Amino acid sequence: MLALVLRRLWQGAISILGASVIIFVISRLSGDPVVMLVPPDAPPSLIAEIRTQYGLDQPLVWQYLLFIGHALTGDFGNSYRWQMPALKLILDRLPATIQLAACGLLFSVALAVPIGVLSAVHRGGWIDRIGRIFAMLGQAMPAFWVGLLLILVFAVQLNWLPAFGHGTPAHVVLPAIALGWYPVAAQTRIVRSAMLDVLDSDHIRLSRALGTPERLIVWKYALRNAAVPLLTMLGVYFAAMLGGAFVVETIFAWPGVGRTVVEAVFSRDFPVVQAGVLFTSILFVLSNLLVDLSYGLVDPRIRDVR
Amino acid sequence: MVLEVHNLHTHLHLKRGILRAVDGISLTVGEGETLGLVGESGSGKTLTGLSLLRLLPKGSGRIAEGSIKLDGQELTTLSDSAMARDIRGRRIAMIMQDPMTSLNPVFSIGDQVSNPLRNHNIAQGATLRSKVISVLTQVRIPSAEKRLGDYPHQFSGGQRQRIVAAMAIGCTPRLLVADEPTTALDVTIQVQIIALLRQIQADTGTGIILITHDLGVAASLCHRIAVMYAGRIVETGPVRRIYKSPAHPYTQALLAAIPRLGDKRARLQAIPGQPPSLIDPPQGCRFAPRCPARMDKCAEPPPTVTLADGHEAACWKLA
Repeated sequence: MLALVLRRLWQGAISILGASVIIFVISRLSGDPVVMLVPPDAPPSLIAEIRTQYGLDQPLVWQYLLFIGHALTGDFGNSYRWQMPALKLILDRLPATIQLAACGLLFSVALAVPIGVLSAVHRGGWIDRIGRIFAMLGQAMPAFWVGLLLILVFAVQLNWLPAFGHGTPAHVVLPAIALGWYPVAAQTRIVRSAMLDVLDSDHIRLSRALGTPERLIVWKYALRNAAVPLLTMLGVYFAAMLGGAFVVETIFAWPGVGRTVVEAVFSRDFPVVQAGVLFTSILFVLSNLLVDLSYGLVDPRIRDVR
Repeated sequence: MVLEVHNLHTHLHLKRGILRAVDGISLTVGEGETLGLVGESGSGKTLTGLSLLRLLPKGSGRIAEGSIKLDGQELTTLSDSAMARDIRGRRIAMIMQDPMTSLNPVFSIGDQVSNPLRNHNIAQGATLRSKVISVLTQVRIPSAEKRLGDYPHQFSGGQRQRIVAAMAIGCTPRLLVADEPTTALDVTIQVQIIALLRQIQADTGTGIILITHDLGVAASLCHRIAVMYAGRIVETGPVRRIYKSPAHPYTQALLAAIPRLGDKRARLQAIPGQPPSLIDPPQGCRFAPRCPARMDKCAEPPPTVTLADGHEAACWKLA
């Protein structure tokens, strides 16, 4: 078990290192950040001076090594724009992003599991059909549109929930739904097909033959078997939600990492972009590690193989 | 009689038409008796077993006609919830073919063995635990107490089949339907499972229906044999008579097809032809198209002829 965790952490470290190279190079392809900081009529000497000040006149490889060296000590440099440590800027916003992604994921699972299970149990029946339409709608509606619709209906017309901002539990409801809406379709499909497989297996047939109530067969004995493929998917979706939340964060004025990084990209605020992407990739690696470890909780066979 | 089945018809409603998988069979199983249901694949053995539990394929399977009586109680008219509550696992239990897939891989065997006992309110709490241990000990799982938390993959194939047997006998059913319980196992393990079934019967007096295509297994365990062909029972009788003097040409062909040690014949004896389609079966004797002793009369349904006490066969040749 420990060996597995160490191996995964090592693999994760390499992934994060790779991500750092990519983001470092790509952000620099976007142009010169100094141009964004100075007035349009600034003299070339001022531009050169600021470049030297930020170390942007150094060779790219040297810049990268400096960045990594500092990053390892927790120093991601100062934001060009806000003149404060980039790390602090990101870490301040990280909890809000994790909160939003977790709530979004919870929403999608809370919807996908019952729909998927009932669709499998009543295969071809009306629940199955409605579930499929519902899932298709989810996949056909982009998050920004769902977000706007939710604001229009629940915030503006019904006035049930706040339209934007952050702080109370009520604030997270609409953004979480907007974020969790899209993956419902794919998760429902996974749950449905996994459940169909399990419900057709010998051990479920034996459970029936021994008089196990159908309720227990479906929700206990079959569902836990179907959980493994779902778990795999959840890891990927959680990570995708962490990184992809910026649209929803922007619509709902949610003070998260995604929005901050997008703003930083537009202003070529390299330290903030680098810190933001690096932390997102760390969360990505950790959430996948968590999924790997949770397999063992669900499936004892995996526990023993390791 | 523990079980009396009379004129049972089980149909599968398929897109191609109605498949008459079980077409008018009658059989009985007495207390402490083992009846072997023997026949080739597709002869309707397994669907007969599933019909007893009313566990036919959802949507397509249906008992069209006939009566199934367990200790005199009619089962065909019971509601499905009553079947689940009072019959399945409680008074009729089933053991299935493949022990490797018959246990749920993500639940401990303690949980799975206690499941029928819990569902049928046989035991709870500490009594439940001790009952599970005693049942597992009864099927010879070594140090059962320590292994309650173990999962199916930590047991061998033979042990898994024993655990399945433990699940089946926990509630001391009146009838045990064992569907090919030894087919997926090594020969040495087969012997152990046969011995186990014998021991279970001696301990509890349960009636057993052994569904098998293996005549050797049937001979070693059964008191009586019913030979099925194309959804019908063609011959039934005490095990010795069936093996010593088989009357129906199909039974004779089946026995002749078993290769014997020291036999000089170079070729294996096969039965020529294929079993008929059960969607549109022949009007008369279903074995007639493959039968070496075919006569003109075989185009009409054959009479059931009693040859000796309990030995019956459905064939014109004997009439």
